[in-house]
Formats: sequence, structure tokens, C-alpha cells
Amino acid sequence: MDQISVLAAAGMQSRMQSLDLVANNLANSSTGGYKSDGEFFTLFSSEAAGEDASGPSSVPMIQRQWTDFGQGLLEPTNNPLDFGLSGKSFFVVQGPSGPLYTRNGNFRFNNTGALVTNEGYPLLQQNGQPFKANTAQPLQVSLDGEINQNGGSIGRIKLAEFHNPTDLTKYGANYFTNSTGQEPMDATGSQIYQGKIEASNVSASHGAVRIVGLSRQFEMMQKAITISNDMGKKAIEEVAKV
Amino acid sequence: MIRALFSAASGMNAQQTNVENIANNIANANTAGFKARRAQFQDLLYQNLIQPGAAATQNTVVPTGLQLGLGTRAVSNEVIFTQGDFSETDNPLDMVIQGNGFFQVLQPSGQLAYTKAGTFHLNNTGQIVDPNGNLLDPPITIPQNALSLTIGSDGTVSYTLPGQAAAQQAGQIQLANFVNPSGLNSIGQSLFQQTDASGAPVIGAPGGADGVGSLMQGYVEQSNVSIVQEFVNLIVSQRAYEANSKVVKAADDMYQQVNNLKQ
Repeated sequence: MDQISVLAAAGMQSRMQSLDLVANNLANSSTGGYKSDGEFFTLFSSEAAGEDASGPSSVPMIQRQWTDFGQGLLEPTNNPLDFGLSGKSFFVVQGPSGPLYTRNGNFRFNNTGALVTNEGYPLLQQNGQPFKANTAQPLQVSLDGEINQNGGSIGRIKLAEFHNPTDLTKYGANYFTNSTGQEPMDATGSQIYQGKIEASNVSASHGAVRIVGLSRQFEMMQKAITISNDMGKKAIEEVAKV
Repeated sequence: MIRALFSAASGMNAQQTNVENIANNIANANTAGFKARRAQFQDLLYQNLIQPGAAATQNTVVPTGLQLGLGTRAVSNEVIFTQGDFSETDNPLDMVIQGNGFFQVLQPSGQLAYTKAGTFHLNNTGQIVDPNGNLLDPPITIPQNALSLTIGSDGTVSYTLPGQAAAQQAGQIQLANFVNPSGLNSIGQSLFQQTDASGAPVIGAPGGADGVGSLMQGYVEQSNVSIVQEFVNLIVSQRAYEANSKVVKAADDMYQQVNNLKQ
């Protein structure tokens, strides 16, 4: 295959992966605490690229995605067990195999009075234990995460902050896992708003613009392949004419 | 590529569920004791195309991998048990619960069901029943010749008989409270049923020490649906649906162009 086709085909393939990312973002535009993904392009250079000076030997590819950890809008829900998080930290819940981190502050009581996520994973308090609340009593959460019931504190919500949140891996179901094993720090400057929930930070308009851009780029590269094919065809059919 | 199509389809499905939920809320905006529900979504699993921490070369590792998500799903629509507005009806058997708790009614199957809708009536034998004829539990009977009916904030039902000065007590209404009311199962007709998730009911007298709310006679609790909020949600949901359909279109166009490569 000739250079142009290889390059353009790689470009097309990476635009398809970009569309996959955009599709997932837009699909999750109503997912509480969802953080949108973007992609990082890089050039894949073949081993021969250094020696071969005759032309480009590198093709574009998506090396990795990055997650935009920007703040989502805090939507009022009037549910006293919805905790909207502002700042850079994460709620810590006890997953089946170690701690999971989430920005989705939609909790409920389980039948023992612990605050749990939709999957039943308990929200942890500062000392690493689940909460134990009297579910018949109203519950107030202060901005710094202190949960009060009946005038007394029943514990403080544990928040984790990461020096480099890009090391977090998406786990599905609004959770992140700490894939690199960096120690989470104590949260600074985060506030918890009771009765609100952090909406997805996906921007629909941004997604729409991305779709247009991707479609047009894809079209250009498809044209490039067509032109390259035509050139090859001409070269074979007309130049070789005797 | 198929990923983009299915992710967008999952997004459209989720928004459809959202609209269905909004429609049910709006349809019940005037249902006494109705509690609005709110749909919750989650992202689905991620495909790891490049594993974080995988070896890039012999000496270096990939710092973060390439994860492509596979869309979203509607995971629950939880009931929001905030208090609805009270409207005065002057019907002696209309009651609202100020605070936590549910009325208990006995279904014809013999199972107890729980409701927030405090619109009760008397049946032909003088027993207090809900609009579907289910008996209030514990059962309370009012004699036919009773003149006035009073329900105290602690649930005590009393009436006076003709020619008697002293009021007679007919019984006390008991309310049920749940550890996790969001885990109750809606069975229609404003009734809920207990599940493993809700836990067993804690029965107590209204306004008592068990944390259940007190009763107020002559009022009905309106639904807690906020029409403004529902319409805002509807607009957002419709736009999100549209955005997802655009992804389907873009993916389809890309496919078409790939097919056109071969001339």
C-alpha cells in the first residue's frame, strides 16, 4: 500500500475512536457525577522512521484518553440524601475489592442504616467505617461533610483528593479506581451541598461541534484515499501505456 | 465504530426512560400523596484498548491507557419522599402525615400495603377504608349514628354519639416507617409494598418517639411533583436525545464513506 492510503486510513481509524469517545460522552450527559473524556493524539513512528528519509513513516493514532475533571453543575434535587460535591475531591466508598472513588453523591440508606450507593457500596467516614444513622431522624450535612442527626455528629464524610487525578481509571457505574496506587491526599477546599447532585460535565454543544469536525476530517481523509487510488490507477494504466 | 453506534443508542434509550419517568410524574401532578421519581444513570463498562501500566518499551510503561466507554444505562428511578403541599378539604377522614411514615392498609390478599395518600372513607359497615376499599390497619369502626369525628395529631380517633356529652374513642391510627423508604416497591393506586431493601416496617403512634410524623385532620397532601422542574428536565432530556441521534447520523455517514472507498 502507498504512503497516502496508510496515513489516511490510520487517520480515519483514529477519528472513529474519537467518535466513540464523543458518543460515550453524549450518552452520559445525564449521568450524575460523570466526567467527560477527550483524546490525546500522538504520532506512531515506525522503527525505520529514523533511517528512512524518503518520506513520512509515522501515522497518527490515539495514544490515550484524558478525563476532564472539571466541576459539573450542582443541580438541586431536594433529596436530603443527595450530596453535591464541589472542588477536586471524591467520595470514598467500600467496593467489593478495595476503595472506589466517585463524584456521584446519590446515596440511600440500606436496611442497617448505612449510607450506600446504588450498588450497595457503603460511603466511608473519616475513620474508614460506614455510617450508622438513625433513619427515622432527619439528617443534616454541613459544608465540610459533618453529618449531624438530632443535634449530634454521627461522623464526617471521607473525601479523597489526588495529586494527579488523570491516574484514576474509570470503572463504570460512575466509579473510579486508583490504578497506579498513588496515595490519596486529604481533601482541601471541597464542599458538600446537601440536596443537590453534581450533573455530568459533558457539554452537548461541544460534543456537537466535535461531531461536525470529526465528520469533515473523516471525509477529507476518505477523499485523500480516493485521490491516491486514482493516482495509482493512472500511473498503472496510462504511464505504462506503450 | 460499532461502539459509537451502540453508545449513542444506549444514550437514546436512557433518555427515553427519562422522558417516560417525567411523563409519569407530570401525569400524577394532581394525585394526592404521589411522590415524584427521579431517574438515575450510570456509565457502562470501559473497554481498555491500551492498558494503563502496560509496557510501552522495555524500559517505559504507558502512563495512562486508552479506555473507550460503552455508553450509559438507566439504573434506578428513586422516589423522592419530600413533603408535598397541604390543601384543606374539611373532610374529617382526610389526613396528612407531617413527617415520616406511611398509613397501613390491608389488601384483599391479606398483605399489608403502605401509602402516603391520606384520603379515607367509611365503608358500608362503618370501617375506615382507602379509596380502593382496602381496610385501614389496625381496623377502626365508626358507628352509624356518630355525629362528629375527630382525629388527633397522635392518631386517636374519637366520635360523639347523639345525646352524649363525652367523646368515645374508636381506636388509634398507627403509622409504619421504613429504614429505606426509597427501597419500597410501588404497586400502583398510591400503594407501596415492603421489600428486602426497604427493611421491615417500624410501627409507631403518630408523633411518638419512633420518629414517625404526626397527623393533621382535614387536609390532603398534594403530590410533590414540581411542574417547572419536570419541564426543565424534559427539555434537557429531549436535547440529549437529539445529540445522541446526531452521533448515530455521524457514525452512519462515516460507515458510508468507508464503503465508498472501494470503487
